[in-house]
Order: sequence, then C-alpha cells, then structure tokens
Amino acid sequence: MKTVTLDINQKTCVLEVRDSELLIETLRDRLGLLGTKYSCLEGDCGACTVLLDGNNVLSCLILTLEAEGRKITTIEGMSPGGELHPVQQAFIDAGAVQCGFCTPGMVLASKALLDKNSHPDKEDIVRALDGNLCRCTGYVRIVEAVTAAAKAMEKTS
Amino acid sequence: MKTTSPVGKSVPRIDARQKVTGEARFVFDMSLPGMLVGKMLRSPHAHAKIVRIDTSKAEKLPGVRAIVTAEDTPKIKFGSNEYFFPYTVDQFPLEFEKVRYIGDEIAAVAAVDEETARKALSLIDVQYEILPAVFDPLEAMKPGAPAIHTAMNNIGVMMPSSFGDPDRALKESDYVREDVFTLPSAAHAALEPHVSIGQYELSTNRITLWASTQAPFKIREAMAKTFKMQEADVRVIKLHVGGGFGGKLEMFPMDFCACLLSKKCGGFPVKIMCSREEVFSFTRRKHPMIYKLKSGAKKDGTITAITGEVIADGGAYCSYGPTVVAAAIMRFMMVYKLKNVRLFGSRVYTNNPISGAIRGFGGVQSGFAIESHIDMLARGIGMDPVEFRLKNATDPNTTTVNKLIISSNGLKDCIREAARRSGWRDKYGVKKETAPGVFRGIGIGVAADVMGSKMYKSHESAGSIIKVEEDGSVYLFTGAADTGQGSDTALAQIAAHELGVAYERIRIKAADTEITPFDTGSFASRVTFISGNATKNAATDAKRQILEVVGQELKLDVPGLDIKDEQVIDKNSGRALLSFDRAVVLCYSFNYGRLIIGRGNYNPKTTPVDFRSGEGNISGSYGFEAQIAEVEVNTKTGQVKVLKMVDVHDIGYPINPASVHGQIEGSIVMGLGYTFYEDLKFKEGRVLNASFSKYRIPRSVNMTEIESVFIETNDPQGPFGAKGMGESSLLPTAAAIANAIHDAIGIQIKDLPITPQKVLAALKEKESGRG
Ligand code: FES
Ligand code: FES
Repeated sequence: MKTVTLDINQKTCVLEVRDSELLIETLRDRLGLLGTKYSCLEGDCGACTVLLDGNNVLSCLILTLEAEGRKITTIEGMSPGGELHPVQQAFIDAGAVQCGFCTPGMVLASKALLDKNSHPDKEDIVRALDGNLCRCTGYVRIVEAVTAAAKAMEKTS
Repeated sequence: MKTTSPVGKSVPRIDARQKVTGEARFVFDMSLPGMLVGKMLRSPHAHAKIVRIDTSKAEKLPGVRAIVTAEDTPKIKFGSNEYFFPYTVDQFPLEFEKVRYIGDEIAAVAAVDEETARKALSLIDVQYEILPAVFDPLEAMKPGAPAIHTAMNNIGVMMPSSFGDPDRALKESDYVREDVFTLPSAAHAALEPHVSIGQYELSTNRITLWASTQAPFKIREAMAKTFKMQEADVRVIKLHVGGGFGGKLEMFPMDFCACLLSKKCGGFPVKIMCSREEVFSFTRRKHPMIYKLKSGAKKDGTITAITGEVIADGGAYCSYGPTVVAAAIMRFMMVYKLKNVRLFGSRVYTNNPISGAIRGFGGVQSGFAIESHIDMLARGIGMDPVEFRLKNATDPNTTTVNKLIISSNGLKDCIREAARRSGWRDKYGVKKETAPGVFRGIGIGVAADVMGSKMYKSHESAGSIIKVEEDGSVYLFTGAADTGQGSDTALAQIAAHELGVAYERIRIKAADTEITPFDTGSFASRVTFISGNATKNAATDAKRQILEVVGQELKLDVPGLDIKDEQVIDKNSGRALLSFDRAVVLCYSFNYGRLIIGRGNYNPKTTPVDFRSGEGNISGSYGFEAQIAEVEVNTKTGQVKVLKMVDVHDIGYPINPASVHGQIEGSIVMGLGYTFYEDLKFKEGRVLNASFSKYRIPRSVNMTEIESVFIETNDPQGPFGAKGMGESSLLPTAAAIANAIHDAIGIQIKDLPITPQKVLAALKEKESGRG
C-alpha cells in the first residue's frame, strides 16, 4: 500500500493504493467515477479511455501509481458545472450516441485529438479513434460529431 | 401554423445528455449494499457425464457465502421458443446429469470478493465421465454419432417451407443452377458484457433481478418457470443497456444463479458479470450454416423455383433455434414473387457453444446465400441483376405464396433509386482497371424487414400507459426495452406528437416488469411498430380525457377539439382556447378531480404461422431495402476495398431520421465485419478467438462511405406510417459485396468471410480454367 495524491478532474484526492492497482479500479471502485467503462480489460476496446495530461490513455493498462502527479480527466470532468463541452454537444446533435457504452471513451479520445489538432480531417479523426470500439453506430456519426465539434470550438476560441 | 411536433425530426435522444456526460447507469455500474460477487462454474469438457459434484472444500473457504448446484433447484428446464416449439425446451439452469459444451453451467458461488469467488470455483471438485463429442453438424447427423439430447440424429429442429410444385418448375426452367454457401459463426460483441444482479427477499419469497437485457418479460417468464414461482413474484428491471444485437434476449443461467445464490446466502444481492472472454465463449453465437440451393429461371427473367437445404450448427441447446431456422428458410419470400419453393431447414445439436439469436436472426445467413445465388441466376440467363430483381420483386398489396400479407411495399422503388444513385447502368458489367491489377465492380442485394415475430407468446401485444400530472409533466410507461437503438426516444416522440405537447415534456419509465405494461422485448425490429402503436393509442386516450374536461367546461363538442403545440385548439378555426398546462390544471381542479391516465395496447394483424409448411403472416407489416456496393479488388494482394455503399430503405416514415440512419449505418458496418473478417473460430468446442484482439470487429478505420436514403411508403398500420428497421440493413451487405467482386474480377466467393486468401485462391482457380 502506498499513499498517492491524485489530481482528478481538478480536484486533489489522497488515498492508499495497492502497488498493482489499476487506474480503472481506483476510478470506478474506489472513487465512484462510474462514467469510465471497461469492456475487455486487455487494452483492446478503448471504453476505459481517460486523459492523462491531456493525452488519451487506457485506464485498464495504467497503474494508479503511474498517474500520480499528472492531471487525470475522466468523463465526469468534461462538463464542470453541467455545461457540456462542445464535443459532448456535437455527439448529441450528430446522433453519435446509441447505447452509450463507448461514448465516454469516444468523447475523451475526441477531445484529446481536438486539443492537439484543431483542424483535423476525416483521416485524422478516424485514426485518432482507431482504438475506441463502437458496435452500434458504425462510426459514421461519431466522425461527423468530431468534425462539427472542431468547427464549434474554433468559433468559441 | 408552425408545429412543434417532434415526429419526423431528428430530435436528440432522450438519454443523450446522460450518456455523453457519463451519468447514464448500466447494470454494469450498479452496486447495492452488502452486494456479493457471483461466479459460474462451467464445464471444461465438451461432452461428459457428471458423476459427482463436491462443494465441501469450497464451502469452507473463508469469504464464501453460498454455493449452488442443481440440487438447490427444482430441476425444471427452460427454452426460448417454448410456446410454439415445446420440444426445444432442453436446458436446465444448472446441469446435473450431463454437460454438453465447454462452458455448460453446473454450479455457482457467491463470495465477498472476486478473488475468493474465483478460488472457491477452483475448490469445487467435479468428477466427470468423458463422453465422445461431435462438433461438425454433418457428422452429428450421421447414424451412430454421439447422442447429445434425445433428438433423432441430433436434429433438434426440422423445418420445411414448401409451396407449389418445385420439381416441375425446375424441369420447365430455361436455366437451373446449384450452389453451396457456407457461413461461419459470429459474435454479437455488444460492449457492455452480460451482467445481472439478483436479490431474493426471504420474507416474501420475491425476486428482483437487474439485468442487461433486451427482453425483461421473457426473463421473468423463464425465471418464474425454473424457480417454480409466480411471475408476479419475479421482478426484472432493465437500466441502460450497452448493446444487445440479439445476444441478450433470453434468461441465462447466470440470471437464475444470481437470484438463487442471493436466496441461499440470506438475501444479500449477488452480482454476476461475464468477462469479455466469457461473453465470447459462453453466451450466444451466430448459427454457422450451410446452404445448398438449386433454383431455376425462365429466359424472360422469371424465377421458377427456389429449392434447397439449410443445415445449421445449433450447438449444445436450442435457444431461439426454431425462429432462426424459420428466418433462414423463409425470409426471402417477402422479397420475391415465388410460386414454387421448397427449402428444408435442419438445426443440429453439436457439442459447440449454443447458437442463438443475433441481429437478423437467420436472415443474415439467408441474405448472403440467397442474394448471391439470385445474382448468379440472373447472370446465367444473361439478365442484368437489377432488372432481374425488379422483375421478381414483390408488389404492394399482395399476399405471397406462404400467405404473408404485404400492404405497403417500396421494394421496387428502393431498387430503382439505389441503381440510379449508384450509377448502376454506367458501371455494371463495364470492366474498369483503375490501377495495374486493380479492378472496380458493383453489386446489389435486397432484403426485407419484419416488424415482430411471435417468439414466445401466442400474441405479440404491447401496452403503454401515459400519466399526465397536475404540473403538466407527462410520464410514459412502456415495457419496451431500449438497448441503444433509440426506441425510448421514438416512443417519446410519438407520445408528444399525439398528445400535442413538446417532446421535452416526456419522461419515460421503461422495462420494469412490475411497473410497466407487458412487452415481449426488443427483437425482430418490432418496437417502433408495435410499442409505437401502443404508445400512440395511450396518448390518444390521455388526450381524450383532457379534452372531455375542456369540452365540458367550455361547453364545446369534444370531437371539435384537439391539442396542438401545447394548446387546446378549436379544430375548425385553429384558434387556441387554452394552454395544455391550464387544461391539465382544470382536469385536476375541484370541479373535475380527473387524474389523467391514458392507456394503449396494440396487437399487430398477423395470422398464426404453420411451421409444418411455413404458411402464415408473421408480421403486421414489412419493410424493404436495396443495397448497392462498389468495390475495388486488388488481384495481386486479394484485398477488397469497399468504396461506397448505397442503401435505399422503405422505412414507411422516419419517426427520427437521424436515429434511422444511425441504425442503417451501424448495420452496414457490422455487415462489413461479417463480410471480411468476423469469424468466431472453434476447435473441439473451444472458442479460439475469445477477445477483441483476436476477434476483430470493425474499427473506425474500417468505415466506408455510406449513402442512406429513405423511401416513404407511409404504412397504413404503422404509427405515423413508420415501420421497424433495426436489422435488415445487415442482410444484403455481404452478398452485395460478393456480387460486386464478381463484377470486378469474375469470381464468386461463396463462403464468408471473404479473405484476401480466398480471393487469390479463387482467381488462381479461375485462371487455371476450372472456375
Ligand atoms: S477496458 Fe478495453 S481497453 Fe481498457
Ligand atoms: S454507442 Fe453502443 S458501442 Fe458505441
């Protein structure tokens, strides 16, 4: 057991973790941040995506100890105060959500892309989301949503 | 007058906000005070006698709260097609005499944590006597093969469809051809794993089960039966469901065991969740099938007869086998005018994992076999495949040879429009080499939708209740189970329109067997059509109640009143009389004291299907579509690239266009997976690729351009003319692509998936003159 200080969604939290504890376990089982999903726990599906210092990572492959001192953003941190992030709004408007199980991961992976590349083309988007599986939508509307979000963010920035 | 009606508009999903913020809760996310972890003990053998199960060591392990075996159960079998096919009821919630596949459930444990539960499983000592096993359906049918159940030659389901005089029709044909198609198994691969939480209330002997399911009422029925309880004492609740695709349509032993364990450990809730490997290996899979077809045509393009045989590998138990086989041998009769048909379907028990329902039921297998075969028939008589299909396509207002009653039918328009949009006339049959060794081709496939099929009840009714509260809030109670496809949203749109209020007013309470009206579940694309009509009727009823009060108060004739755009209006003048809110307050006022509770029910106009002949009207309405694929084939690498899919779909009327397009796109991309790589592989009953890294489903990089177009036929039975459509876009995809490959390079691949190796092998064979 080690004591770690984690920066999650701009809040500091101190807790004791096992050396082998995965970030997904800490988030879901210890902190009740249930927006982060998992579908494989093997690094194959992207449902467990969170942001670490702005980069999308798979929380089923990361030890909580490794996340210490870095900024962790989960889906719960995307809309502080209830105001939707443009990516979230775009997912709603484009009809990019069906069952919603992949959605938190998709939204975060899309945000990571747009923070780095404000004018992605279709190829960029498709490549950025390659690690995030969706069985429902066929990805068509997800790509449309990210394209629309890029435009919306351009306007507001 | 501007209208606020949400019907026909792409309003946001009713649950979209919760889903993009991560607030939506799935059973996957749920925990209850005192909850224990449950795990299933499964057979490691494909076929074995159970000699002895000793749980004593496991029981002593600290942290173990309960262990159950068949001895704790009333030993009652369940099945999924029980009403029409009682002989297919063949599975115990926990087996005790025999195990029939690797994964068969024989015991379950509940413990304080995952690790203890796992350890307890390893301490249960089971003695088996290994029996000879059989994995190939053709072998299983041979005399002397190991008997898996009591069915003769292991044929668990036999089903004919037989009409006219096919032998004579074949003799009188100008062209006859025979083809064999083979289709592999596939996985649903919904992202939320199968998960259930069971809680047993000892003081009342009542069960509550939270499950990730498409059919809560179906589970209730099976659960009550196998527990020997009344249905009223079993409550099944669905939360958000992370995809189903047919894989969550039944009770699973884990549902049963979660509740039984809870009972045995004193009422603590027990959660059992499948790992990804368990989902792939032990839930349900697509039926692998062999299609042997022999059909004929006249020179003028008339199909004279379709005949043949379908053999399906059913695995260890029947599940929804009968319905799947029925779809496999009958679905094409919705699309083609036929006089002579003889198809015989056999579903064979093997010691493989259980085959069951999957999006399209047997229609996907049939879609590939029949639509490839039809194309080859067309080419055989030298006719353009589009012309050939137009010549044989069913018409509106017809009754087919197997007594399907088709009212609205936009199939021919779908075919014409798909051909026009894809530029078929300029492209088909024109050799086009876009780079050295790279050829383009175009191909078509067509399909039909059903809107329900009676699977486990004599009727297929659904009900809805609409409650309007004094503050004007509107609650819709429906038994329909949205698993992501968007049916809750469509139902809310229908309710809002019919009641004349804003969509945002509607709050939906769905799929809780104790609270919501009965609904058979989300399958066979039935929800918009059947539950949609029920909801429309409930809203009409609620509206009538409000208008009666207004009429009485204002001394106006009720038939002259309506509610539109949140106002009670005078129908003739269109004049607003008072707001919806005020009208509702009036209902609840001292003088009236009228609580507004509307109710609706809908039972589609179907006729019983005679499964000895295949005759009967299975669905209240039918939808249609045509799909055209354009591909590019690299003859050096065997790689096939899909450039574009055009899908033209008779959806009746789109309640929510974005959501309908979303269903079509999702289906087509799933279809791309089945066409090119999805192939659940087995070795001696064991799944070889039980992970997302080994079983590849389409990723964003595998998307293709999709043009999705609606034909609106405004079905007379559908709510606002709408039809169901959640499955059929998957049906013609593989055939359209296979036919396009033929157009490009002159080879027809008859077994899925279409891999580069198969393309190269077929090319080689063609070059050597044998193809
Ligand atoms: S849970 Fe699938 S990648 Fe992490
Ligand atoms: S919306 Fe269901 S998996 Fe993506």
